[in-house]
Amino acid sequence: MGSRLDRYSSIQSTSYCNIGDEFSDREILLSIVPVALPQFIFILQDISFGLSMRKSQGTWGLQWLLRMSSDKQDTLLKMVILSVAATLAFSTRLFSVLRFESVIHEFDPYFNYRTTRFLAEEGFYNFHNWFDDRAWYPLGRIIGGTIYPGLMVTSAFIYHVMNYFHLTIDVRNVCVFLAPLFSSFTTIVTFYFTRELKDASAGLVAAAMLSIVPGYISRSVAGSYDNEGIAIFCMLLTYTLWIKAVKTGSIFWGSLCSLAYFYMVSSWGGYVFLINLIPLHVLMLMFTGRFSHRIYVAYSTVYCLGTILSMQISFVGFQPVQSSEHMAALGVFGLCQIHAFVDYLRSKMSSDHFNTLFRSLVLLVGSIAFGAAAVATALGKIAPWTGRFYSLLDPSYAKNNIPIIASVSEHQPTTWSSFYFDLQLLMFLFPVGLYYCFSKLTDANIFIIMYGVTSIYFAGVMVRLMLVLAPVMCVLGGIGMSAVLTTYMKNLDNPLKKEKKSSKKIESNYPLKNEIATCVVIMMTAFLLFYTYHCTWVTSEAYSSPSIVLSARGGDGSRIIFDDFREAYYWLRHNTPEDAKVMSWWDYGYQITAMANRTILVDNNTWNNTHISRVGQAMASPEEKAYEIMRELDVGYVLVIFGGLTGYSSDDINKFLWMVRIGGSTDRGSHIKEWDYYTPQGEFRVDKDGSPVLLNCLMYKMCYYRFGSVYTEGGKPTGYDRVRNTEIGNKDFELDVLEEAYTTEHWLVRIYKVKDLDNRGA
Amino acid sequence: MKSLIVLCLLLQLTFCKTNTDTIDKNIVNAKIDRKIDISSHLVKTSTSVTLENKGTSPVRSFLFSVEPLLKNSIAFIGASSKDDKEKLDVSLTTVAGHSDKTFYRVTLRSALDGGKTTVVELEAIFSHILRPYPSEIAQAEKQLVVLEANLYFYSPYPTTSQTTTVVTTSSNVESYTKTKPVSQSDTSIIYGPYEDKSAFAEAPLKVHEENNSPFLTVTSMERVVEVSHWGNIAVEEHIDMTHTGASLKGSFSRFDYQRQQDGLASIKTFKTSLPASARDVYYRDEIGNISTSHMREMDESVEVELRPRFPLFGGWKTRYFLGYNVPSYEYLFFKDEHYALKMRFIDHIYDDMVVDKMQLRIILPEGVKNIELKIPFEVERQGDQVHYTYLDTLGRPVVVLNKNNLVEQHIQDFELHYTFQRLLLLQEPLLVVGAFYLLFLVVIIYVRLDFAITKDEAKESRMRVAGFIDEVQNAHDRRSALYQSYDDAINKFKSSKDAAAFSAGRKKIDADYKQLTQQIQNIQAQLKTEGAEASEKVAELQRLDSLYKEQVGLAIMAAEKLVAGKMGRQQYLDAEAATTSKCDDTYKKMESLRATL
Repeated sequence: MGSRLDRYSSIQSTSYCNIGDEFSDREILLSIVPVALPQFIFILQDISFGLSMRKSQGTWGLQWLLRMSSDKQDTLLKMVILSVAATLAFSTRLFSVLRFESVIHEFDPYFNYRTTRFLAEEGFYNFHNWFDDRAWYPLGRIIGGTIYPGLMVTSAFIYHVMNYFHLTIDVRNVCVFLAPLFSSFTTIVTFYFTRELKDASAGLVAAAMLSIVPGYISRSVAGSYDNEGIAIFCMLLTYTLWIKAVKTGSIFWGSLCSLAYFYMVSSWGGYVFLINLIPLHVLMLMFTGRFSHRIYVAYSTVYCLGTILSMQISFVGFQPVQSSEHMAALGVFGLCQIHAFVDYLRSKMSSDHFNTLFRSLVLLVGSIAFGAAAVATALGKIAPWTGRFYSLLDPSYAKNNIPIIASVSEHQPTTWSSFYFDLQLLMFLFPVGLYYCFSKLTDANIFIIMYGVTSIYFAGVMVRLMLVLAPVMCVLGGIGMSAVLTTYMKNLDNPLKKEKKSSKKIESNYPLKNEIATCVVIMMTAFLLFYTYHCTWVTSEAYSSPSIVLSARGGDGSRIIFDDFREAYYWLRHNTPEDAKVMSWWDYGYQITAMANRTILVDNNTWNNTHISRVGQAMASPEEKAYEIMRELDVGYVLVIFGGLTGYSSDDINKFLWMVRIGGSTDRGSHIKEWDYYTPQGEFRVDKDGSPVLLNCLMYKMCYYRFGSVYTEGGKPTGYDRVRNTEIGNKDFELDVLEEAYTTEHWLVRIYKVKDLDNRGA
Repeated sequence: MKSLIVLCLLLQLTFCKTNTDTIDKNIVNAKIDRKIDISSHLVKTSTSVTLENKGTSPVRSFLFSVEPLLKNSIAFIGASSKDDKEKLDVSLTTVAGHSDKTFYRVTLRSALDGGKTTVVELEAIFSHILRPYPSEIAQAEKQLVVLEANLYFYSPYPTTSQTTTVVTTSSNVESYTKTKPVSQSDTSIIYGPYEDKSAFAEAPLKVHEENNSPFLTVTSMERVVEVSHWGNIAVEEHIDMTHTGASLKGSFSRFDYQRQQDGLASIKTFKTSLPASARDVYYRDEIGNISTSHMREMDESVEVELRPRFPLFGGWKTRYFLGYNVPSYEYLFFKDEHYALKMRFIDHIYDDMVVDKMQLRIILPEGVKNIELKIPFEVERQGDQVHYTYLDTLGRPVVVLNKNNLVEQHIQDFELHYTFQRLLLLQEPLLVVGAFYLLFLVVIIYVRLDFAITKDEAKESRMRVAGFIDEVQNAHDRRSALYQSYDDAINKFKSSKDAAAFSAGRKKIDADYKQLTQQIQNIQAQLKTEGAEASEKVAELQRLDSLYKEQVGLAIMAAEKLVAGKMGRQQYLDAEAATTSKCDDTYKKMESLRATL
């Protein structure tokens, strides 16, 4: 269900999208806040540290603070730092709202927005039974049963509560600001999570770091209304409650944890990671001999309740007991019972008897379990391993086998640079945090270690899973940073305590103690400062463009807005018949249904590969052939994205090879061969040397219709494509079966009307 | 829509029962000078009517009629007298025996006596009469329209002499009716004079001309005026518009549109004038902000140049929202509890605008009563509604007004009178204050009271200790103040040399001091039972204090010696320096100890 996120391409094409060269005053203010934060935290930590060491003499003019009891001071500091971090998490995500407007971004969020509006207006039962005939024409889609409803239910709930109190906020604004709001919540949860793992000061540092980490911001800026926005909150909440359950071994915390897990399942498909990580943690505890009644109670509660609850989500259904992705959890559950039973037996029997029994039991149970699994797989009771899961284990799997998964840029392996881009300082603090965790192993620490190690692997496989990695990076980074600071702050000489110290003997085995400590502390401060600068810069430059509205700088430095997408969608909305079917590549499906309110053939919910393939075939075929397909599918209008005039690089010609590949991947499209679209030298070119098949296919013609007469750049011939940087090869042609219905101002979106069949007499 | 209009008319008819007239046989149109302006998409007629009363009795009013075919297209009728340019009353009426025609009664300012004449200017505006012909044109073609009208002035009275001038858009006239006498000049076609036509005379008049003016029609609009007594009036207009000219045939070519600047009949942009005080103007639609608009502030108004997302060709539709705020002092007047809102019923949207259907919703503050409406033309008032928004409890009353077929001439003020108790203004702030107060109260109660079923000994002990420490600190602070009193007493003694007073003062301070020290001692004992480490610190504090006291004793002794002359000046100063430095030292220690308790 991924969307094609070309966020990196938008950074590279600086000629086109160099937003934010100059900040407005508001933005400067906004960017000062995150910069000020670490200093603030630093000072506060300093103070609290000083207080806890009972050294402070009240030289900061904070007498009122010092007069409080240390409990109160502690609470106050924590609350202040946490609320500053939470506010910051909210406000740093507002760049795009300030720069553009309160608008939904990207592709998937438009679908979520549309469904949320439906839910808010029609109620839950209608939503649950919603059969959407606006998408996947002529198949339609059962929306209620094929989505994770958590996000929509959350926003609809907020919407209804607000409106109950007559705070008339509309659904769109709830949707736009939901992700920042939940980021604030995540910040707070991170604090509690880290506090459970180490201590409160590590929690504060982790919370502050999480509030601005770009890896998380990338999916939670205002307007980015996607499942991940709330899922990270749910995930961390579940982890926190899990740790709590493990520490206390109480059914209460276990039940709360399974409720949080239920919320997580209802909101994101990534819950699979969670239901594998928790069993892994339990397994690891067993291996290290830390299995105890506490863990037994915690896991049994969480697994049983969690599984039953998760099956209430109709999209999940019986998967938790059938599909292989959930088998690890079931297996560990069984193992828990056996382990507990074995422990019980061991306490009642002599060791000789026990060993005999143990061996025979292991053999018996092992063979039965294996046999049962094999039979179930053979009968198809256990779902076959899905492609997405394979691609997690083997990064090249999807690329080789499923073009539709590989075509999504966020399913690509992560590069090193994007690790640094998204995490910066945390990359280096991560091992530090791991070290401190290892140096004092506890049940909880083992969990965070497992989480860190697995998620760093998954993030390496898929760009999109960077999101799962970011929180654990912050948690471990927070632990590391806080431990380093605590260690060295202690070594700082306190000028006000000199008299006492001089009376003592100076420790001779640690020369320059004060100086080294000062250096380390200053260095850490500098790191934190750079971290905030980097995060703010990344947020502002890379993650805050709504992608539905593009902006560029004109020659005189003024800002030019390209609002072509909405122009085209709005034209479709008002000037085509209500029941018109629009054909476009699947990327734009969600936006067309949400903004143009027209029926589309394929959308970003890529559930039917053959249907998408059919559209790919139409795009890749010559006109006559394509006309047959379009008549077959009742297509009224065709929409293409063309960047040749403006230099917008993620247009349909650049995606065209994927259409060819996906089009050719089914039986009906077997005549479409990728090789035909390359030059004999194996290049993909649109100029004179390009393959004639390419130069005459429907997509080429729709993109370049009449473009051959346009001057795009000084000194270049007509029909010069500014994305491919060539003069196009086939300039002068007419369309037979289509007519240009609308082209937007900057030619970004072109809409064609499919002509009716000719009258027979004519 | 037609049925609505009929409904409107019916309503008006039932409303004005007295509006039945008869055709006065004595009136004659002596001279008619008619101008039909078809240079825009509206048909504007202005007629100068010279009325003659051939009878003997004075005439107070006369009738103006509209052809049966045109009665649904009429948007506005106005009359003024030629002499003083004063507006005359025009009202809809009926005439027995002529139920198919529409009549308007124009009331003269002064009765017209028999044999006299008077000149009246009549203005009528018709919408949707100009028919695009051909009805479909390609992008590059020009738009042609045809006017079909009555060659003669349609009147219930016989007409002696009349001329008609048709003002065309340009000199490009394809064809026109050539009933002589007729002459065509640059942009006008002049018919007549025609003599002696009977009442209700009709003859076809057809003009086919090129007209590329924007055929922009607002098919429906909703104007919402939200009044806040805190000083703001928010106005929002939801506008659906269509290009009602010749529709586009075939494809739209962006290339031609950009290179050749064709599409003459298309609408790229239009200008809207808003009130001069308009602030926070926004221009958006269902899918977000429309970034293509410019605003210019002028003396008289704020001019907004609106560009729809896409150019409008014939038959193309769009929809947008335009909103702004104006300060209420310009529109809202009050005296005691009586308020009057005076605002435009409809505001300027574009030049020569046509609005087919309009709804005005006026949202008044909560608690408004006795609503009365005054409006210069007939509107249909729906039942009042209730609107809920921020912090409302009972809801705000909404006055809903409907009207069809509006043009620029309808930009007129309405008046809405109502009563409102000013104290109600405070209701919502108080609500918020109350809510927060409750919240804080709950938090305070929750934090202060112990809801636990079990007792947490450690915590209670900690709290007790904290209380004791507080007491110690207070007592110590007071004790520190006493040290100062000692110093003061000594200094005073040195200067006054009054031993009796000194000893009295000293005794008093001593008593206080003893009491405080005893108090701290007691607390220390209690702290000890709590097993707190603070107890040791308090003991240390006591020790330091006794050191200090010792020094004070020394200082007093030295002072007494000095006064008694038993000690030399220099000697005393040395001793004083020693004690002071020791005192300071101890004092510092005590303070730091006190801070860390």
